[in-house]
Amino acid sequence: MSLPQPPGDDGAAKSPGPAAGAETVAASSGPQAKKQPPPEKPSDVRRRSRIILSFWLIVLCLGLPIWWQTTSIYRADLPLHEMLEWADGKACRPVFPLRINIQADSLQDQEAQNLLRLTQHALDDLNDFSGHHLRLQLSPPPGHPPESSDRESALTIRLVPGDTATASLDPHEPVLDITYPPNAIPTATSSSSSLATYVAGQLRSTFAEEQATISYLLSTSSMPSESRPLGLSPESAESLAKRATRSLKYAPTYHLTFSLFTSGPLPSSWDIGAAIADYMKPVLTVLSPIHNFTIDTQVQLYATPGVPNEVLNKEDLSSFVNAAEWPLSPSIGGAPTINFVVFVGNQTIAGERAESEHANTGESAAHSWLIPQWGTIYLLPLPDGTAHLSSAALKQPLLTFTSHLLSLLGAPRSGSLPLRLSTLGRIRSADLLLRASSTLGSLARLALALPSISIPSSVADGVSTTMLHLRRACETLGGAEGLAHARVAEAEAERAFFEKSMVGQLYFPDEHKIAVYLPLLGPVAVPLVMGLINELRAWRRRRRERRERGRGKKME
Amino acid sequence: MDGGKVTQGRTAGLYVGAAVLRLAIFTLLPGLPDLLTGRVEISTPVTSFKRLQEGLFLYNHNVSPYDGGVYHQAPLFLPLFSLLPSFSNLPIFTYLLYIAVDLLSASALWKIADSGEAGSAALFTSPRRDKRWSGYVIAAVFLFNPFTLATCIGRSTSVFTTCAILHAIAKAVSGAPFGALVALSFATYLSLYPLLLLPPLALLCYDRQRPERATKSAAKFTSICASVVAGVLGVLFGMSYLITDSWEFLVSTYGIQLTLSDLTPNVGLWWYFFIEMFDSFRAFFLGVFWLHLSCYVGGLTLRIRRQPLVVLTLLLGIFAIFKPYPSISDTSLFLALVPLYRHVFPLMRYTFLAASVIAYASCLGPAFYYLWIYAGSGNANFFYAVTLVWNLGLSLLVCDLMFAVLRDEWEVERPEMAGKEIRQI
Repeated sequence: MSLPQPPGDDGAAKSPGPAAGAETVAASSGPQAKKQPPPEKPSDVRRRSRIILSFWLIVLCLGLPIWWQTTSIYRADLPLHEMLEWADGKACRPVFPLRINIQADSLQDQEAQNLLRLTQHALDDLNDFSGHHLRLQLSPPPGHPPESSDRESALTIRLVPGDTATASLDPHEPVLDITYPPNAIPTATSSSSSLATYVAGQLRSTFAEEQATISYLLSTSSMPSESRPLGLSPESAESLAKRATRSLKYAPTYHLTFSLFTSGPLPSSWDIGAAIADYMKPVLTVLSPIHNFTIDTQVQLYATPGVPNEVLNKEDLSSFVNAAEWPLSPSIGGAPTINFVVFVGNQTIAGERAESEHANTGESAAHSWLIPQWGTIYLLPLPDGTAHLSSAALKQPLLTFTSHLLSLLGAPRSGSLPLRLSTLGRIRSADLLLRASSTLGSLARLALALPSISIPSSVADGVSTTMLHLRRACETLGGAEGLAHARVAEAEAERAFFEKSMVGQLYFPDEHKIAVYLPLLGPVAVPLVMGLINELRAWRRRRRERRERGRGKKME
Repeated sequence: MDGGKVTQGRTAGLYVGAAVLRLAIFTLLPGLPDLLTGRVEISTPVTSFKRLQEGLFLYNHNVSPYDGGVYHQAPLFLPLFSLLPSFSNLPIFTYLLYIAVDLLSASALWKIADSGEAGSAALFTSPRRDKRWSGYVIAAVFLFNPFTLATCIGRSTSVFTTCAILHAIAKAVSGAPFGALVALSFATYLSLYPLLLLPPLALLCYDRQRPERATKSAAKFTSICASVVAGVLGVLFGMSYLITDSWEFLVSTYGIQLTLSDLTPNVGLWWYFFIEMFDSFRAFFLGVFWLHLSCYVGGLTLRIRRQPLVVLTLLLGIFAIFKPYPSISDTSLFLALVPLYRHVFPLMRYTFLAASVIAYASCLGPAFYYLWIYAGSGNANFFYAVTLVWNLGLSLLVCDLMFAVLRDEWEVERPEMAGKEIRQI
């Protein structure tokens, strides 16, 4: 242990801290260089062993358990297998059974049954997408109380005798009026009928867009290819993709901001409350099972648009919004904002309807355009000196806004309003179902890929709630209940995935832990470990000496 | 500085002088107490007088004093201060209480010094023991130490802990183990960390038992000590429960020291570290810091077994550096005990360095704190750097004292080496 030391070397000054200081003079050399220090007393040796032991006992008995306790990562059990099954579409095949009622009061029951059978055949022949069923049924004769399934029906076909075969959608109810020539009724024995084919064709064209949208959703999701529909032409896929980029990402709540920007001092007031109540509220009410809406309005005078030109070209439209000066906040209260801007000025759009992709009527085409995922701008020309915009003056802008709102929400473009809305509900259910499933899959893959990430129990709860609601949504797909379940499932899945305590640990791989532990524990560990090693060595040497002494005694 | 003859008059003179000085500061400089109360070097979250006032106000309005998360001190302070006339009307009584506590501490210190325990313990007698200061000098050094004065003027409640610890040591030295353990339990109740002093204090009690009723069995003595401390602490906790009607105080007083949830800057080393700490490692490093604080107890007690008072002194120095919420009050307690080792001062090698580092840090600390908080021309690193220097100075002093004591012990074994250079191998 002891080595001869040169005299006058003040080595004890190097003692690093109080702990090491405890052993500062445990052994010392003599002043003369060649002089061996006297041997240590056994009591000193024992004392040193005890001191080293006291430090190591604290490290082992308290330090290790604390380390284990505080740095072990809590990982709640996740049903990873099931989650991945959902993401791969194995847990649920999205099937939309749509009930179509046929109302044929003028036909005999037998004839109607026959027609229904033939039409169903024709439909089944036409259909190439198993996820989207059209199932026909005869509606009960009037006077009977409607059954529960009656309310679930997506569409009612009203067959009325007429001169030629015509079809028209009722604008207010989900009803397809079909007239048929008297001779078109199939006989009981015929295996085909022109009327049946006609009805089937009409039905198919009515639901073509919905079918295409849903099959597009399925094809862009991670569902396996066998459940994907075939025959989605590249053009239609492209137009669907375009529409998907135009519409806003799903959110349970949207914030609608109605802004009146005027280039001059007038008009300074508008009757927006009444106008919204009159022209937009009905649609919002119908949409309420799918989305909630909050509304605010504002008026801004002397607003300069981003483009000063009188005549706006197609290129100008995208930069018309003066993002720097117009107070259009991106989102209020967390909900995505949809902006509806009425701009009163003398600008016009060049080239008439060529610019507008969305207009249903020629008139509004020249005044408004839709900015994808943002909202709509409506240019309202007014005679000079109009101080107040009445509700009636706002009718056209608000109708445009309403139709653009449907586009922004992702509703199909064709069909009557009730049909578009019910289609929107189904598209959204499918969308939410797929989104929640893929979020589950991402979470499962994340949990597998990062073994060091902590998974709090709230995430496990979220996952189980999500799966419960997904299962229910899958069973009741197509109806209002399915939509409600899908909404809950999506919200829970997002909440579980974006759990805060998980995100903080995300980028903390194992090698970073060295950087956390080493700066403090490294210097502390050096004297501890060195002390232990020296002590063990000394102990071994003492044992060997004792053995040799014992042998020497025997030799004597 | 041999103290000479200590007459009744000189004793009274010292105490009266210290009391008058404090009263004069309180009354003649009315702005100073509040200024000092606000200093982070004096008031920590667990000792601040301002927070005590807040807790007192809540307590007197029948609201739990721990509501609002400001008050983190022991519940028994509340009835004590409620008994005094209101501080806002008659602050003089509060001043007198603090002055009395300081004088009590000084008298305990006097007793410790007069017992000569520092120079000649039960198992070890230093050859240099004759060269020592009298209790009068040591009490004077304590009473007129600027750190002690500032703590008293700043009315930090740590003076009560200081008083309890000094009395525990005084009782142990004079052969009254029960009193010593009760005093230590009070100190523990007030600020938790004195519990770590139990092993060396128990040894001191064991060594200094009166022969007529001594417990010879070490195991028996240990269990008696542990049960006395546990019993007194149990009674104190029970009283606290009766006062506050809930066990909430445990979390708010000891929990805050254990988890360091209030990161107000102070002269210690913890706050900056835990500001920067990743949240996921916070719990682990809290464990490491507390273990680090407590790991010295065993090693030092074993190494300097023959002089338990030295162990107590060194541990108080280490606590003043490494405890979670240290203030200059802890330093003043350590500096109160250091003059007891006048006989080993010649063996210390860095007294000048340590003293100048401490003086340097005491001047620069407030300046850098001002630059950081008020002037805005510095940042937290300025103040933290000074606290590092401050603690470096203190640890130099602790190490140097330990070196001197060990060398003193060693020279008894190897008398031929006295006065010669040595080095560690």
